[in-house]
Amino acid sequence: MSDQPTGTNIEGDAPVVETVVETDEATVTDDAELERTLGLIGGLAIGIGTMIGAGIFVFPGLAGAEVGTAATVSFAVSGVVALLVALPTSELATAMPKSGGGYYFISRGLGTLAGTVVGLSLWLGLVFATAFYLVGLGFYALDALALVGVSVGASPGVIVSALAVLFGIGFTVLNVTGTENAAKLQNGIVALLLSMLVAFLAFGMFDVLGVIGTKPSGGTEADQWAALPILSTAALVFTSYLGFAQVATVAGEMKRPGRNLPVAMIGSVVIVTVMYVLTIFVATSVFDRNQLGQFGETAMVEIGRELLGVGGAFVIVGGGLLATMSSANASILSTSRAIYGVSKDALLPRWASRINLRYGTPHVALGMAGGPIIVLAATREVQLLAEVASFLHLIMYGLICVALVAIRRDEPEWYDPAFRVPGGPAIPVVGAVSSFGLIAFMDPRSIAVGAVVILATAGWYLYYARDVKLRGVL
Amino acid sequence: MTHVLVPVAILEGGTVSPGLMNLLGTVDVTVLGYHVLPEQTPPDQARLQYEDHATDALEDLTDEFRTAGGAADSRLVFTHDREQTVERVADEIGANALAISGPTGDVERVLVSLSGDVAVERILSFVAELVGDRDIGVTLFLVTEEEATTQRLESAAERLRRDGISVQTTVVASDSPFEALIDEVPGHDAVIMGEKAPSFRSLVFGEESDRVASASVGPVLVVRSAETLDT
Repeated sequence: MSDQPTGTNIEGDAPVVETVVETDEATVTDDAELERTLGLIGGLAIGIGTMIGAGIFVFPGLAGAEVGTAATVSFAVSGVVALLVALPTSELATAMPKSGGGYYFISRGLGTLAGTVVGLSLWLGLVFATAFYLVGLGFYALDALALVGVSVGASPGVIVSALAVLFGIGFTVLNVTGTENAAKLQNGIVALLLSMLVAFLAFGMFDVLGVIGTKPSGGTEADQWAALPILSTAALVFTSYLGFAQVATVAGEMKRPGRNLPVAMIGSVVIVTVMYVLTIFVATSVFDRNQLGQFGETAMVEIGRELLGVGGAFVIVGGGLLATMSSANASILSTSRAIYGVSKDALLPRWASRINLRYGTPHVALGMAGGPIIVLAATREVQLLAEVASFLHLIMYGLICVALVAIRRDEPEWYDPAFRVPGGPAIPVVGAVSSFGLIAFMDPRSIAVGAVVILATAGWYLYYARDVKLRGVL
Repeated sequence: MTHVLVPVAILEGGTVSPGLMNLLGTVDVTVLGYHVLPEQTPPDQARLQYEDHATDALEDLTDEFRTAGGAADSRLVFTHDREQTVERVADEIGANALAISGPTGDVERVLVSLSGDVAVERILSFVAELVGDRDIGVTLFLVTEEEATTQRLESAAERLRRDGISVQTTVVASDSPFEALIDEVPGHDAVIMGEKAPSFRSLVFGEESDRVASASVGPVLVVRSAETLDT
């Protein structure tokens, strides 16, 4: 292993790598310092804010329709897989607190081929995930219109696509031109959502357990307590957990990374797992499988209406709009950081990380995020988008675990993580097996699309960057 | 040696007026070139694109400080949060004061505000160090409604006169210390105040519209309090 990258890409550019000193408050390079400005709350807001939109507001209807109350187990299984990956990711992130997250660890631990595949599929995986959030947002916006009495006529599907595309364009333009600091807004939205959900869930739990109100109308006879459907539902809803690794994409901007990165990643997974399991329990107790299947993406609105009347429906629609917006926006930001990480290492053209002279924003990377997102959002293929996003992320998660084992085996001198996963290789090995294993339970169509994306990224490596060496480079 | 931190928005045409450079000729200066980025932009990414240009500008500015007389070095920081960066660097170098640039000519008289719960002794020794044996007049300024505190002002003036500085004092009764200070500015070329002074934050770290006020008062030197130096 060398400490310097070697080789250039097809355009003759070499990776930009230099020796830096990381402190709790800044990254110190030869001539400049990079301030770390994101605190623990900001990190948790990115993790929770990205995750909570999909898991609570889009999936209860879809997952409940598959297996009924057994979907609580599906969400718990997904949460455990996410936790098994969050632990190794935390260790690597504290050892390498840089922009790019999972891509960075894998390119350093496993080399340029794995790095390119993961870096580009992190970008594309985030694109699929964001498109999925936007479609969810479209469905909620449609329900919001219906609630205030606006009729959309005979083709609601087209309206959902149009709304998803419009929001996609809107977020991209806002991120390129907006220079207001939106971080505080994001923190506020997440805090508001969490308190709304806690209140709603507390009421829902009392109701379905028969403490107050009437017994719920949903039956239990249609529940599917079998391993295979539970696991395939877990594979579908895994998209609900994609946010925690996005915390690692901003690792370079996190204050006290040795403490805040693990707490933000593991904490956000634990918090949302509990929220999801409770939400699904309430949802599948209020309605049975068949009813949830009819309600689809916005089943939560009907659950709110059933529990609290029309006021409850309004609360859920408002929450759903906020949650899917915050998920989409946070993901667009992560996407642009993922592109930057790859471009800095000469695996994408250098111009991909150019900064706009007028707004000071990375307009090329944001465009490379927003463009494909808008196209995909127009397809309205909720399940496909969600599963391909999960597929691409799960490949990365599995490889993160492998990278941890590889780096630990011949531990380089610079490797000094503040957080170490206990129990030797057990957790990363189980994490890798379960990440790759979950893919097997996906819809074959999603697996096919995901595999094509992976092959395309490997092809890009062979064409563009096969001479670049990144392994072991700090 | 007294150490002053001078934050400058280095890529937004931020400069330091020659009058302020000369005024700081008796102390050690660290020029903090900063560039604030929108949150969409990782500081590292901005550095790749802007570093060379920023370094050039910062070196030129630091050289000008050296020419003006004092020892000067520089730091370059890319950040999302100006206030956090200024405070971190000020702590790291143990700065006694921050200098917020503003337009001014040759400094002949400075306005020293002792209003509010400020560390008078720290401010006075800073003023004594800064003025040195130069021919710069000092106006000690206090907004108060109590007779007893004017006593404080007189003993402060005595303290500076013993160092051979020409001092006059002004006491104003007002319920708006900030406006009273601004009203007193004409006839002075720079303002020196304590960190805990009323309205210090709005002058130094405030919103753009508040900092317009600092443009109308010229350079502002903020003497840091002992507590912030300790933490």
